[in-house]
Amino acid sequence: MFSFLKILVRNLIQGPSTDPFPFGETFTPEGLRGRVRFDASACVGCRMCEHVCAGGAIRFEQSESELRFTLWHNSCTFCGLCQHYCKTKAIVLTEDWHLSHRQEEKYAMVEQGTVPLAPCLGCGISMIPVADELMRVAYRETNQDIDRLRRLCPDCRRKLGIKGVQRCKM
Amino acid sequence: MSSYTIPVGPLHVALEEPMYFRVEAQGEMVVGLDITAGHVHRGIEALAMTRNFYQNITLTERLCSLCSNSHPSTYCMALENLASIRIPERAEYLRVIADEIKRVASNLFNCAILGHIIGFDSLFKHVMETREIMQDVKETIYGNRMDLAANCIGGVKYDLDEERSKYLWQQMERMKKHLDEIYALYCKNSFVRLRTEGVGVLSKEDALRFAVVGPVARGSGIDYDVRQKSPYAAYDRLDFEVQTENGGDVLCRAKVRLREAQQAVRLIQQCVTDMPAGPTCIDTPPEIPAGEAIAKSEAPRGELIYYLRTDGSDIPERLKWRVPSYMNWDALKSMLVGDKISDIALIVNSIDPCISCTER
Repeated sequence: MFSFLKILVRNLIQGPSTDPFPFGETFTPEGLRGRVRFDASACVGCRMCEHVCAGGAIRFEQSESELRFTLWHNSCTFCGLCQHYCKTKAIVLTEDWHLSHRQEEKYAMVEQGTVPLAPCLGCGISMIPVADELMRVAYRETNQDIDRLRRLCPDCRRKLGIKGVQRCKM
Repeated sequence: MSSYTIPVGPLHVALEEPMYFRVEAQGEMVVGLDITAGHVHRGIEALAMTRNFYQNITLTERLCSLCSNSHPSTYCMALENLASIRIPERAEYLRVIADEIKRVASNLFNCAILGHIIGFDSLFKHVMETREIMQDVKETIYGNRMDLAANCIGGVKYDLDEERSKYLWQQMERMKKHLDEIYALYCKNSFVRLRTEGVGVLSKEDALRFAVVGPVARGSGIDYDVRQKSPYAAYDRLDFEVQTENGGDVLCRAKVRLREAQQAVRLIQQCVTDMPAGPTCIDTPPEIPAGEAIAKSEAPRGELIYYLRTDGSDIPERLKWRVPSYMNWDALKSMLVGDKISDIALIVNSIDPCISCTER
């Protein structure tokens, strides 16, 4: 009985424990899982994020000239699996948690990005370009040969590879 | 004295989740009880069979808010058992940390509600305020106050750098002081004791007969804890004791929960010191063969079992879980009979029922 009175007095002296938000600042730790940002220049179009997304919030659409990425924040659960499986960190969760919006804006709560397709240097077929970020993850440093290979489609790369093997045999 | 029937629930001011009790009463006394469940069935088991293994990590985390980490971690354990994946040692410790952080917050939540039900609202607020330290820890380390999203197949998604380890350690030191104070309050405060001592008694024989688990079993003197009986993650390398009480009443269950929270804090600190350096997750995508597997863990409410059957595709053929509340709520029949009508909410709360897990 008496012991609790002590706690009451202590809590009274300490003052309110709540943050004065929205009139003042509130606690936002580093690494809070908030609004998702997509960096099209780092995307390699592996679509792993779309595959792991539990809410079905991520969708890719591919046309002849581009690969379009869309993420609906209203379907997103902010679990961060997409970020975890994105090797090139094209998709990241930011600390921005200000996501309240009016009903009429609900379809505008999206994150979009477009990856333009590039022609293969060999056959000219359009393909998703290999992002610089992926090159950094895969090779510590690149040289001219690797740089040429990255601009080829998988088929042309294979052909070039076989030629290389044949040269070695000779 | 004439007997009459009264309905309690499914919507009731003192019940946290919807559940319907048809109570047979004689005067002030409960003489019979019938429980009807099914008010928050959402079809999640069926949903899990339409989604791939990765998506189900996030789905199982959303079964329940208070033990939200136990579900995905046990689910991942089932997958890892099936595919014979050995997770990195650091990941094992990190899984323990996530589980124990959730345990402290969950147990404090239940003990706070006890204060609210007995009309001791300043105690309720004080315990909730202490729990707020754990909420801030979760938000700082994992990025969310409830759903940690700590697990992935083959390890964990987060890591503790030096700065965060230090922060975690400091917060646990803060918790220790508060938890000791709260435990002493529950043991000694006359208001708490008057309303909870000798109320809702579950004898050891009945506890065994109903096969109750978790703090409900341990409050009735049954020394059963999955972390000790069949250790998973890093529990075999950690030093801790199973907390038990012999009274079997509401207060004993609350004491077990509070002592487990104190012990969880020590476990977290042990993990921070003992954790080896290294990777936190396997670096190749897992290959899950066809087959079946079981995994179990000690959730804040007791033993949680996952059963998984796969057919070689990346969608489970069957995913089923047995949650602790399933056995615990049946034992209410033994606890409530002979007690007063005014104690129904208090006794129901003392088993810490998780209806949303049980009915999914």
